[in-house]
Amino acid sequence: MPVPQQLARGDRMGRGPYEKSGMIEDTGLPPGKTVHERFEIPFPTADVKEGGKTVRKTLAHELEVEVQLWYLPYGNMNSDPFLWHESIQKVKISEKGN
Amino acid sequence: MTKKTVHIALITAVLASILVLPCHAEKAGIGWQEGIAARKGKAKTMAELASMYDSSSCIECHKETHDDWAKSIHARSIFSNGRTAATFRTAITNGLMEWPYSGVKGPGDVKVEHLMGCAKCHLPQLADAEDSVAREIVATIDAWQDALKNKNKAAAGEAAEKLKNLNINCLICHNRNAVIHKWTDGYPKAGEVYGSKEGKHDDDKFPVLKKSLIMSESIQCGQCHGLGPNLELDNPTQCCTSYGSYLWAYTAEGGRETCQDCHMKKSKLGHNMQSYRDGGMAKAAVDFKVESFGYHWRDVTTLSPKAVVKVSMTNRAGHSIPDG
Repeated sequence: MPVPQQLARGDRMGRGPYEKSGMIEDTGLPPGKTVHERFEIPFPTADVKEGGKTVRKTLAHELEVEVQLWYLPYGNMNSDPFLWHESIQKVKISEKGN
Repeated sequence: MTKKTVHIALITAVLASILVLPCHAEKAGIGWQEGIAARKGKAKTMAELASMYDSSSCIECHKETHDDWAKSIHARSIFSNGRTAATFRTAITNGLMEWPYSGVKGPGDVKVEHLMGCAKCHLPQLADAEDSVAREIVATIDAWQDALKNKNKAAAGEAAEKLKNLNINCLICHNRNAVIHKWTDGYPKAGEVYGSKEGKHDDDKFPVLKKSLIMSESIQCGQCHGLGPNLELDNPTQCCTSYGSYLWAYTAEGGRETCQDCHMKKSKLGHNMQSYRDGGMAKAAVDFKVESFGYHWRDVTTLSPKAVVKVSMTNRAGHSIPDG
């Protein structure tokens, strides 16, 4: 989304079209280009005492990851949000090993 | 007694010349006097403006096209889903009324020129109206918002319908805005419809069919779906910038398709020109790929498993998504 510069001066974003005359940045997708995003999601764990040592136990070995691409015309989920794409995938990790 | 009458008549004639001549003298170009607005004179009411560009006679032969258009935002260009009408109002409250040199202290001070920041694209024909129409539009938006606050559905619906009567209809694209280089190609005339060929047109009001040089070109859409700030205005505004993005980021990189190719032809939407709200358009516009895997991250002696999610998004449209 192009972030408009208020009256084309300074570092403030404009409020409505009537104040837009410049651009601070564009967070949208440029035509013909591929934009990559990488996310890391920790599996749920708990640190427990075992034989006098603190050991990290994995509480789940499978996660369901849901990725959604939203268009937020007003920059938040309260005003006319639009779900553009979504994908649900399962991510598994091994249960054995040390 | 007779002499006095003659003098008054002469004075009236001279005054009329003084009033009329500057209006004609201020506009350059040959042939603009034959346009719809020049022939009819400026509209004094919203109803007169709607009537000036009344496209209802098109429906008889072009019903399917009309029905497609009726589903589009063009059919409610100053209202949309209410968002556009509300933005017209905030442009007055937060903009015009706050700016010390706009001359607007309240809705009653609003002139056509004040609204052209919005209307340049949302209602270009407002330029063919008197200031009374600008004030009537503002009053109608106020009536719509008041009715919503008071939960008066009937009154809100009535005001919304009145606002929707002014829109980007057949005659705006196929006559009024059908020629951009008017000194090169001539001004659109009353009675002409611009399309894909020359000839006769079976319509009493519009008997002449003219071949448009730009109806299939992106610039036809670009005159509203804009370049960026409209610096020609006394107080520039910027809304849609798709055409600017199309030129500098798509065409400049080798893109060759036109607005009409994607929004009308490939999409099979015709005059129901949609963007992301149409499922097919949204899907075609952005490739969305997600890859994921998990592993045990080792922080010295502690294993902290994590999932890695890689998302790649490729914009297949001819402009930035989303647009401002």
